[in-house]
Amino acid sequence: MPTERRDVGKRLIEIIVAENSPVRDISLDQVCNGLERAELMAACESLESFRLNAGNPYQRVRALFLLYAIHRFHLPVQLVGRECGEIPVVGYENLLSRRFSEAIRDFLAVQKLQGPSITLSSALATAYHRLAFQTLADQVRSSVRYVKGNQWMFRTGHPADLPLRLRPELLRTDAQGMYPVLKERTSVRMDFSHSGWSDIFFLGMDYPEGARVINASIDLAVRGQHSRPQPPIECAVRVIDEPVLRLVSVDLSVSTDVTSVPEVFDFARDYLGLVKAAVIAAGLVPPGMEGCDASIEDVLTKLVGPDLGLEVVSRVNDIPKGSRLAVSTNLLGSLIAVCMRATGQVSSFTGTLTEDDRRIVAARAILGEWIGGSGGGWQDSGGIWPGIKLISGAVATEGDPEFGVSRGRLLPTHHVFEADEISHRTREQLQNSLVLVHGGMAQNVGPILEMVTEKYLLRCEDEWQARREAMSILEEIQDALRSGDLQAVGKLTQRNFSGPLQRIIPWCSNHYTETLINKCRSQYQDRFWGFWMLGGMAGGGMGFIFDPACKAEASNWLGQEMLRTKREMESCLPFAMDPVVYDFEINALGTAAEFSTTAAMPDGYYELMLPGLLKLSSQELSTCRRRELEQVGQACRDARNSPQQNAFAELSHRLMDRILPRGAQQSSDSRALEVLLRAHGFDPVAHEQLREELRGGRLGLSQNRLPATTSVADVLPEDIVDARGSQSRSLAAAGENAIRAGEVAVLTLAAGVGSRWTQGAGVVKALHPFCKMSGKHRTFLQLHLAKSRMTGESYGRFPTHIVATGYMTEGPISQYIESAAYPGKALVSNGRNVGLRMIPTRRDLLFAWEEMQQQTLDEQQEKMRLSARAALLKWAQSQGEASDYVDNLPMQCMHPVGHWFEIPNLMLNGVLAQLLQDQPELKHLMLHNVDTLGASLDPEVLAIHLTSGACLSFEVISRRLEDRGGGLARIDGRPRLVEGLAMPNEQDEFKLSYYNSMTTWIDIDRLLNVFGLTRDLLQQGQLVQEAVRRIGRRLPTYITLKEVKKRWGNGQEDVFPVSQFEKLWGDMSALSEVDCQFIVVPTVRGQQLKEQSQLDGWLRDGSARQIDQLCSWSEP
Amino acid sequence: MKVSKAIITAAGQGQAQLPLQSVVDRSGNVRTAVDLLIDEVVAAGIEEIALVIRPGTAEQYLAAAGSHASKLRFFEQDHPRGYGDALLRARPFADKEPFLHLVSDHLYVSRSGVACAKQLVDVAIRENCSVSAVQPTRENLLAYFGAVGGSPVPRQSGLFEIARVVEKPTPTEAEQKLVVAGQRMGHYLCLFGMHVLAPTIFGLLDSRSASLATDESFNLSDCLDQLARAERYLATELEGVRYDIGEKYGLLIAQLAIALSGEDRNRILSELVELLAKN
Repeated sequence: MPTERRDVGKRLIEIIVAENSPVRDISLDQVCNGLERAELMAACESLESFRLNAGNPYQRVRALFLLYAIHRFHLPVQLVGRECGEIPVVGYENLLSRRFSEAIRDFLAVQKLQGPSITLSSALATAYHRLAFQTLADQVRSSVRYVKGNQWMFRTGHPADLPLRLRPELLRTDAQGMYPVLKERTSVRMDFSHSGWSDIFFLGMDYPEGARVINASIDLAVRGQHSRPQPPIECAVRVIDEPVLRLVSVDLSVSTDVTSVPEVFDFARDYLGLVKAAVIAAGLVPPGMEGCDASIEDVLTKLVGPDLGLEVVSRVNDIPKGSRLAVSTNLLGSLIAVCMRATGQVSSFTGTLTEDDRRIVAARAILGEWIGGSGGGWQDSGGIWPGIKLISGAVATEGDPEFGVSRGRLLPTHHVFEADEISHRTREQLQNSLVLVHGGMAQNVGPILEMVTEKYLLRCEDEWQARREAMSILEEIQDALRSGDLQAVGKLTQRNFSGPLQRIIPWCSNHYTETLINKCRSQYQDRFWGFWMLGGMAGGGMGFIFDPACKAEASNWLGQEMLRTKREMESCLPFAMDPVVYDFEINALGTAAEFSTTAAMPDGYYELMLPGLLKLSSQELSTCRRRELEQVGQACRDARNSPQQNAFAELSHRLMDRILPRGAQQSSDSRALEVLLRAHGFDPVAHEQLREELRGGRLGLSQNRLPATTSVADVLPEDIVDARGSQSRSLAAAGENAIRAGEVAVLTLAAGVGSRWTQGAGVVKALHPFCKMSGKHRTFLQLHLAKSRMTGESYGRFPTHIVATGYMTEGPISQYIESAAYPGKALVSNGRNVGLRMIPTRRDLLFAWEEMQQQTLDEQQEKMRLSARAALLKWAQSQGEASDYVDNLPMQCMHPVGHWFEIPNLMLNGVLAQLLQDQPELKHLMLHNVDTLGASLDPEVLAIHLTSGACLSFEVISRRLEDRGGGLARIDGRPRLVEGLAMPNEQDEFKLSYYNSMTTWIDIDRLLNVFGLTRDLLQQGQLVQEAVRRIGRRLPTYITLKEVKKRWGNGQEDVFPVSQFEKLWGDMSALSEVDCQFIVVPTVRGQQLKEQSQLDGWLRDGSARQIDQLCSWSEP
Repeated sequence: MKVSKAIITAAGQGQAQLPLQSVVDRSGNVRTAVDLLIDEVVAAGIEEIALVIRPGTAEQYLAAAGSHASKLRFFEQDHPRGYGDALLRARPFADKEPFLHLVSDHLYVSRSGVACAKQLVDVAIRENCSVSAVQPTRENLLAYFGAVGGSPVPRQSGLFEIARVVEKPTPTEAEQKLVVAGQRMGHYLCLFGMHVLAPTIFGLLDSRSASLATDESFNLSDCLDQLARAERYLATELEGVRYDIGEKYGLLIAQLAIALSGEDRNRILSELVELLAKN
């Protein structure tokens, strides 16, 4: 045996270090499936020792991914019976501080002492996973720094060292004393195929041969809004006669005068982070100057001249976020290009760029993305290049900074297809057949990119095969383009989407997209040639290829159909805006610049800047500003007499509209909020009291905690009942009988709006189609009803299923329940309480950021976060601490008041009374969260509840690293559930073996008794209300900070932390008169899906399959 | 190769007065900058010297050249068409022979006791090809100089085969084209303002001049870049330092450097210390 054990590790190391493809591409599963615990542990030991000594970072990374996957997917199966383990606090703290190696060392030390456990494996898996990505990111950053042409910027630490000078052409004034303008116009990129996300930097550097993308540079026009397609990005640079760096974003309607170097590096201070990143990456204020406390005037004196400044303007023409057209990378590229032209860093001052110039601009754009804390693929700066091109990964050779480190280079090579390869006719046909749209959804593609990286580096078998298929589809697309067969292109992009892309990442598709595809198919049949996924995922920017004969009609039809479908689905999917259809043209130039002494600034510039200037007296204006005002004024006057000057005529109208005030009127939003608050049981008196207590410091995040003298300990074996083994099977009959007799119903808590799931976008989480099961997208609620259906089919009686809703979910869920073909009784319990969110106090913000444990981010992202926090503190203080949060959609200003209220609501809204009247045999409820997918009417667990005679039986699961936020503890010697918010010391949580799944079996009569009620008394509303108040007063009120999205402009989103209060169900276990028991259930039963990034692991570790087996999908 | 002629260009815009500035030499004598430059040339064993000047300034230069006046021949650049054109004006003087070329806005201080020009001419004679003197220069000063890229000549310390010459490159361009193995990070071989050039350069300058409109300027570096592609062309590091007297405080720093390398070193040091103590 020992020899074999060593062999597994050796085999894995051979795979890591192999140069040749067949061995290098063997999957982990192929080696590890069926291995026993000891063999897996031995393999981990070998890999750990290998990764500590490996000099090559890519070999280290592969070893880290293998270790992660063994701990995440293989060991847990072999560790049944060894679920609980202790996660050392110091290890967890190291993990949070990004000291991943130290965290691994701490976890391994405990594993050596206590032996392996699922808990420890979860901690190790997380640490290995994060260290792997950290190593990859560090490698990319290091490569970006060492690209020739980028290095000097990191050595320039002071304005006196600045080696750049502005080109003299830009310093020559005209007769009026006005400086000329250098303008850059840039297209965006549209990818035909990315060969299965092969443009992720890590992947191109790991397997350059597989990294291939075809993309086209395109100009855009919003259909019905713009007359013809134009390069959607426009940037300008000019000298100004004030010693400031003026940054202007026309599309975001914001400008600032930067006066110090530190301001340039303060990205989240305003909406100009991307422009600042471009200024830095272009070398005007090089990254080496970060930390230099100099005035920007010192920089400008060197760069431009004494008493002069520079103005950098950007404008994106109505393309919303999530377009999947790499707008931000190309905007960055465009800004960098114009700044590099202005400082002579590229050879062409005007016109298009040479290939060498494009490459350095692309390298700087990557640098800019890193500096700005964002990310992109290596094809993203494709808009800088002209026409249609094949972008391929390049093998690193001697002389490249990557040589000896990674197999591939950071920067790919671009082959621009000439007319003899892809004819003009084909290009025209493409324009005449592809309907390019923004579907309206804005989602974060980041988790998908991480999933792909992980799967490829692990060489997961199915995904690796799918990748190969995607690579061959790219070849076929190339052939189809060469032969001019657009119908074949459509078939191939559709095949790519339905086949390999979804095999690799099922989450790249969604219910909305597939509904649209089906509608296209049924409407246009064989005249619909195929769907085309753009960028990393579908739902935002997308393409639909039609027969050119019907393209115009299809464009109009699709525009309307998307809007209709969006209206139907907007409560359950995160839409940021209404869908739009684009007209597009292939841009044959790439980025191009023009220099003019008379050219006006980009469209929209004067409307943005002039109102502010008009407020100043003429003495306060610089000479150039005064002249510019006079010139614009003259142009507007001339336009009245000359119909050719349409642009200025329009400008004068728009200026008037902007300058002159509009009549004050109360916004419909604020009225709607008042109405909604009244309708949903908002209690203004309690709200004012809460505000007083928040302001007075009697309530707040720090007050959520139990007194410091509280003793917190792990529960003893006698405090729990273990339902994971076979001992409870003998009891199952009692549970089955109770189900057959209709003694039990299901209560699904569905008031939530998926804050974490959608990063605050606000959708009805219960109705969110989160995953495909049995071939269709399924919502959380569908899944729960399917489990109840299965229960009914198994025991001959369909349990009553109650869905508890809140103010945001009530309408859509009621609508869904009415149409759901659930064979049993399905009821909706409407919420009766709502709160109004408040601006957080400075004290709570600081407590959340400084006192509560949180993950330190990557270096640049951490800088962004600190900068954003400074801005949020200012925001909170300027808005007024603890004042009402009303600056958002009414629904986003209100908040649910915690799941404790769900049971009282059931009593208050009459649903329970009616149900008990209709179904008097009903004795128990199984309450569960909408995201606890494994919760079902399990007769064995039910039997444990029945036989115990407990009022409340709480289900708990053994804790894993990610299960944070409280758990089952002995508080001052009494077992109860305790919220993470209430932990007197966050480190106490690490003592706890079990995590609260929230699933609770409730003995209805005993619970009514706790409230001082009986079945009959439920009819007396006043009495019920008093009973609820009485119990409610005894439970703690927690103050929490929630992140809320505010949408504005073109799909732009801001996230604000807001204060709200809640009472939580688990605190019922703290009431001495409530007889509670705690049942330990298998993890798959109690695990909650809170974030989309959990989905992939959930699918891969077999949880999804197990849950699917609990469901009956007989509905249509 | 024999180098018996030298050409000094002094016709640049804003440069006309620079060579006429007074400087105290290493022995404590008050002289002009051009006089010191001619000292360099003479130290290299060259007695025939051409000065390319602005029209009407010959008298001033004759006066400034002191005892060297008799060695000078003047060529006037009547239209300011740049550095390349200035050198081209002295083509008849060179008469198809290699020549030493210096710019008039630099002063040189040797660290070895052998004049910089002499060191350069010796290398050119030994290698029998064009050679430009270079000085490793930090990237923040690239905006003031031409810079060369290439590779070290094996087994020859401080000697480089030139592949590219770029006038006032940006550091971005320098990093891509001008990195020379063995140099410190962020340092480039920038021109020293002193060259020994084969007469081929005049052909290149002539072609360049002919390709442009009559009022367009051209610099020397572009033609040096062509020279590097056309024939063997080397760069050498000299035991000495150049000082650009055209820069702000350039003359002051050059003067200090000369004084600190001369007889009054101790006195100047004492004065500097006193100055520092008082300020």
